[in-house]
Amino acid sequence: MKKIRVVHYINQFYGQIGGEDKADIAPILKEGFVGPGMQINNLLQERGEIVATVICGDNYFNENLDEATETILEMIGQFNPDVVIAGPSFNAGRYGMACGAVCKAVSEKFNIPTVTGMYIESPGVDGYRKYTYIVDTANSAVGMRTALPAMVKLSLKLIDGVELGDPKEEGYIARGVRRNYFHAERGSKRAVDMLIAKMNNQPYVTEYPMPTFDRVAPNAQILDMSKATIALVTSGGIVPKGNPDHIESSSASKFGKYDIEGVTDLTDKTYETAHGGYDPIYANIDADRVLPVDVLRELEAEGVIGKLHRYFYTTVGNGTSVANAKKFAAAIGKELVEAKVDAVILTST
Amino acid sequence: MDLENQARIKKFAEEFGAENLIVILGGAEAEAAGLAAETVSAGDPTYAGPLAGVSLGLAVYHVVEDEIKSECDAAVYEEQIGMMEMVLDVDAIKAEVSSIRKQYSKF
Amino acid sequence: MVKEIERCGIPVVHMCTVVPISLTVGANRIIPTVAIPHPLGNPNLTPADEKHLRRGLVERALKALQTEVHVQTVFEK
Repeated sequence: MKKIRVVHYINQFYGQIGGEDKADIAPILKEGFVGPGMQINNLLQERGEIVATVICGDNYFNENLDEATETILEMIGQFNPDVVIAGPSFNAGRYGMACGAVCKAVSEKFNIPTVTGMYIESPGVDGYRKYTYIVDTANSAVGMRTALPAMVKLSLKLIDGVELGDPKEEGYIARGVRRNYFHAERGSKRAVDMLIAKMNNQPYVTEYPMPTFDRVAPNAQILDMSKATIALVTSGGIVPKGNPDHIESSSASKFGKYDIEGVTDLTDKTYETAHGGYDPIYANIDADRVLPVDVLRELEAEGVIGKLHRYFYTTVGNGTSVANAKKFAAAIGKELVEAKVDAVILTST
Repeated sequence: MDLENQARIKKFAEEFGAENLIVILGGAEAEAAGLAAETVSAGDPTYAGPLAGVSLGLAVYHVVEDEIKSECDAAVYEEQIGMMEMVLDVDAIKAEVSSIRKQYSKF
Repeated sequence: MVKEIERCGIPVVHMCTVVPISLTVGANRIIPTVAIPHPLGNPNLTPADEKHLRRGLVERALKALQTEVHVQTVFEK
């Protein structure tokens, strides 16, 4: 049997190049496996092998989507793979987006199966679930030992053309694809059974989960900016120097509210970032690069805006759960409404 | 375990011989301590660092384990570790690290 | 976070670098920024030029706040 050719996509960290300080590297092509590819190769055994690995910096990819994708497709194309595996990226935001984007581009260009692995809350899931197969993983590399076998197993099934069962059985995140099949019982009977269960407060499983569209309609625009109070909120983790409230660098359990009355500029002596998910060096030198207090003060002095709100709100967006982010923002929103703030500028890294 | 420490441990194992090296961990949580213990014995389970696929089989302990505690001067131990001993889930940490050691350590 | 604050009735403009994420999470007014570790800065510029760049982006954010939108809108200029 012909050996399956696999190309593996990973980021600078798993590619053993470096951490956040190397997140800006352009794509690199290496023959054979690197990092977790070693175990993927082991799991493939005689059925296949990783013929090449593409490594790309997470910042580089996300800041240069088109060029990076084009370069990576070219690199992958050289090796004529049967399948491309990306990550797994677990909860990582940028890495997840990169894995999803690479898989989508590869399947569209080369028409081969692609498999990756992410934690359900990763933004890569919503963005790319339809275009590839995302194995459902834990929220950190702790889950590597279960993610890799699942990804390899799914890859082999896709190559062999085995018909896949329910996403939950196969271990991937539902793509929203509907497939018709014949059920032993008639639909009418199943519907009545379900209704009876529901009426008797017994458990039942819906056959068609309603999609949740959680979109909020845009609020009306500001009519007179010169009279408006603008508040600053950030997920970039800008805090007073020393992080007095100990906001966590990852999975924040709280947000901070800080008084900038009289502050016209954030300096390296007065402010810093607590965020552990990006290289802090630039924000620590000048926090205005994430929270633009200096510029807003100028605009306030010039009368372009009515007022910069006295307090700014901050938290760390790194790995923070969606539920917590929602909770923080709802509390922040409530305070802003009470303070009669007219609009918010929210900055993210 | 971060990449630099993995590299250092790998170097020391080569320099001094794996049988002459023991690793003592200080992590605050059982899961993290377990991962570090596995990294220096079976190999990096996240495949991110220099110990990916490298099974050094090192003897690894956590500082709260009896084998280490009994080797320390009681007063010094109390001063340095006493407080943490009270707040950490010591039983979980001991169970996790000793389990990994039994499975993967060769020395 | 953007959605929750918008839900309270206050218009929000999201200044961020990875626009696809902003779209996915439901921001309605979006300003693409410079780079992940320095969205409103550029350490390769002189401080004066950097501030000028920052001001330009913030002014665009203010413009977005003054613009009527009905769907998610990315303000490239």
